[in-house]
Parts: sequence; C-alpha cells; structure tokens
Amino acid sequence: MDGGENLEMLMSRYQQGDFGAAAAMINRISPRLHRYFVAQSLSRADADDLLQETWLRVHKVRHTYRPTEPALPWFYAIARHIRVDHYRKSVRTAARERELDAIAMEPSTMPREDNPMARLEEWLAPLPASQREVITMLKVEGMSLEEVARATSSSVGSVKQKVHRAYKKLRETISTASPGKWQKGGLS
Amino acid sequence: MKDEEIDDVLNKAAQAPDDLDPQVLGSITASIRTSLQPVRALPPGWILTAGLVVVCAAISLAGAMRLGFFGFQKMDLLERWIVFPVLAVLTWLAATTFVDQMIPASRQRFRPAAFSGFVVIALLAMFAMLFRDHQIDHFVSAGVACLATGVLHAIPAGLLGWLLLHRGFAVNSTTAGWVAGTLAGLAGIGMLELHCPNFEAAHILVWHIAVVPVSGALGGLTGWAIRLPWLAGNKH
Repeated sequence: MDGGENLEMLMSRYQQGDFGAAAAMINRISPRLHRYFVAQSLSRADADDLLQETWLRVHKVRHTYRPTEPALPWFYAIARHIRVDHYRKSVRTAARERELDAIAMEPSTMPREDNPMARLEEWLAPLPASQREVITMLKVEGMSLEEVARATSSSVGSVKQKVHRAYKKLRETISTASPGKWQKGGLS
Repeated sequence: MKDEEIDDVLNKAAQAPDDLDPQVLGSITASIRTSLQPVRALPPGWILTAGLVVVCAAISLAGAMRLGFFGFQKMDLLERWIVFPVLAVLTWLAATTFVDQMIPASRQRFRPAAFSGFVVIALLAMFAMLFRDHQIDHFVSAGVACLATGVLHAIPAGLLGWLLLHRGFAVNSTTAGWVAGTLAGLAGIGMLELHCPNFEAAHILVWHIAVVPVSGALGGLTGWAIRLPWLAGNKH
C-alpha cells in the first residue's frame, strides 16, 4: 500500500506541473483503480477504458485536490463518478447492446481464470453495487472507514452499515451455495 | 463461515497482482504529458463559503432595495433579531454543504436531502413561533406573487453561486444542483423577509418557505440536465 504522505506530496507536485510526480502517481494509483473497476463486475476492456477516462478527468480537475486532504479518496471519488456515468451510458444504449452488456457483465457466465481477482468478482457478484464498492475499497484496497466515506460521499456510519449488510449477505450466500468450496480453498 | 475467514479471502485478493496492461499505463502517461501545466488549487473551503454567503446577502439586499424594505420596517426588534440571524446561519450551512458537493472527497457534514429537510423544518418552526396572525386574505394571489418574486431572486443567486464555484467538480451534479438551489432559495426568502409586509402566518409558512424547495428542485433539475449527453457535449 502507498504511504499516505507520499501520495499527497506527489499530488501537490503534480499540481505544480511536475511530470515525474504525475508518472509516479499513474504507476501507483492505476493498478488500484483498475482492480476497483474489475471488482465492480466490469470486463477487463471496460476497466481499461474507465481507467483511462478516470485519468483524463483527474488531469482536468486536478486543481480541486486540496493539499491538506487525503489524496486516495479524491481519486476514488472521481473513479466512482466515472463508473456511475458508464453505468448510465450503458443503460441508455440500444436494446441489443444492453443485452450484450448484460451478458458481458453477468459474472456467472464469464470465463473464470484461476486467480484471486477473478474469484473475488464471482464472490462479490451477489452483492448490490453499493455494498460491493464499499467492500472493495475497505477490505481489498485497505482504505480506512473515513476514506471510504469520503470517496463515496457518505458518512462513516453508512459505510459501517453497508459493510455489515455485505458480510451478512456473503455469509448467507456462502452457507447456502457450496460452503466447502470457499472454506477449503478460499481464493488462493 | 466466520468474518475472519471472509477477511482472509478478501486479503488474498488484495495481495493478488493486477493484470493491468502496461500499454494502458503508457497511453495514460503520454496523454497527460502533452498537457501538463501548473494549476492553481482551489482556495480554502471557508473562503468559498464566505463568498457564497456574500453573494446571497447581496442578492437579498439588492432585491429589497429595488422593491422596498417594507417587511423589515414592519418587524419588531425581536423578530428582526431572530429571523435574520437564523437565515444567516442556515445560509452559511447551505453554502458549506454546496462547497463540499463541488470538491471531490470532501467530508460530508450533512446529507444533502436531510439538510434540505432540516432547512424547511427550521424555517417552519421559526416562522410559526414568531408570526401569529391567522387571518387569510388573498391567500393564493398574494402567495403566488411572493413565491414568484422569491424564486426570481433565487435564480441569480444560484447562477452567481455556480459561477463562484465553476472551477469545482461535482461528482453528483444533481445533488450539487439541489444544494445550490436550496442555498439560492435562502437568498430568495431573505429578500422576501426584508420586503414583504404580509405577516399572515399561513402566507409566510406556505408561500415564503416554498421558495426553498422550489429553488432546490429547479437546481436539482438543472444539475440532472447538464449530465444529459446532448447538453454535456456527448463527451462519453
């Protein structure tokens, strides 16, 4: 995980036009944002597109970052905005395209590689989007409750509630589906 | 399965390497390099908040100067000392909430929907306590005139507020628009309290306060509309 201070310092230098800082930020943040998109049941191609779109937006609104504030939630807030826009756009597309998107986004029909991220997507798929997003940020990306609350424009209490509900749903899903599958091998 | 086991599974996913294509990273870096220039960060939140409050106060005063301070003159000292400080506090809170909406990942002090409800309830309580004239004369005709006047003053307040924060970025433009409308509505209500000499309780409780939700709805609608593809320049 990135040290908080380093990210904030890099962000300040990025605002001052330092290309080295910008490149370092891109290398550090992009894998995390990409994993965030993939965990939201998006295809790899869509995740790549949204990552590029996120960075274009980040670049355009980099002046809205305030150096005294944590940088990570700021990135995730913009990534989340891009993801929501992508969802709305997909809803607006023609019926045939929507059907294809639905097939592409249906986790159970996707070919699964044998790696932890692919299994994680499958595992989180039954959760509502808001719970999946919070679990990804908190448990996979290692953000604090406060950071997740900022990134999702909600309160810490609301984040805690979503996590609680997500865990409850995960326990139910696992116990009713195939408990041995998860308990034995997990995602390894 | 225990929570610790679920945590363990999630931790394993966290440690897994991401399969991000290096070409994507290269493409992002190259696109940023071509337009990288120093930028000026936004001023501190309290400065933006103060600017919004000044805009609202200026619109209220300008409107009352044009139409007359009849309401202010008719109020007794207690009413003046309660109505305007309460409006000032609500305006400051609304401005703070609007600034939070225009800066990504700001700490959410208030939930926007709950805040708008709080503003309406606070105004209802204050006016119900202060104004006890229960006569009803020309309820609709006088009321619609006040509502229209209040909203017409809220519109420039909202536009100037948006202009002041045009360098910000709303991650949810509908919510930001709703909050901006609520703030602008408070400017409209401020003007009405300075100007309107009709102190009938029903008139104030219904038509003056209605300026806030009507402005909020107009702001929310505007925020929603600017995300429509044909208005947003079909950028996606």
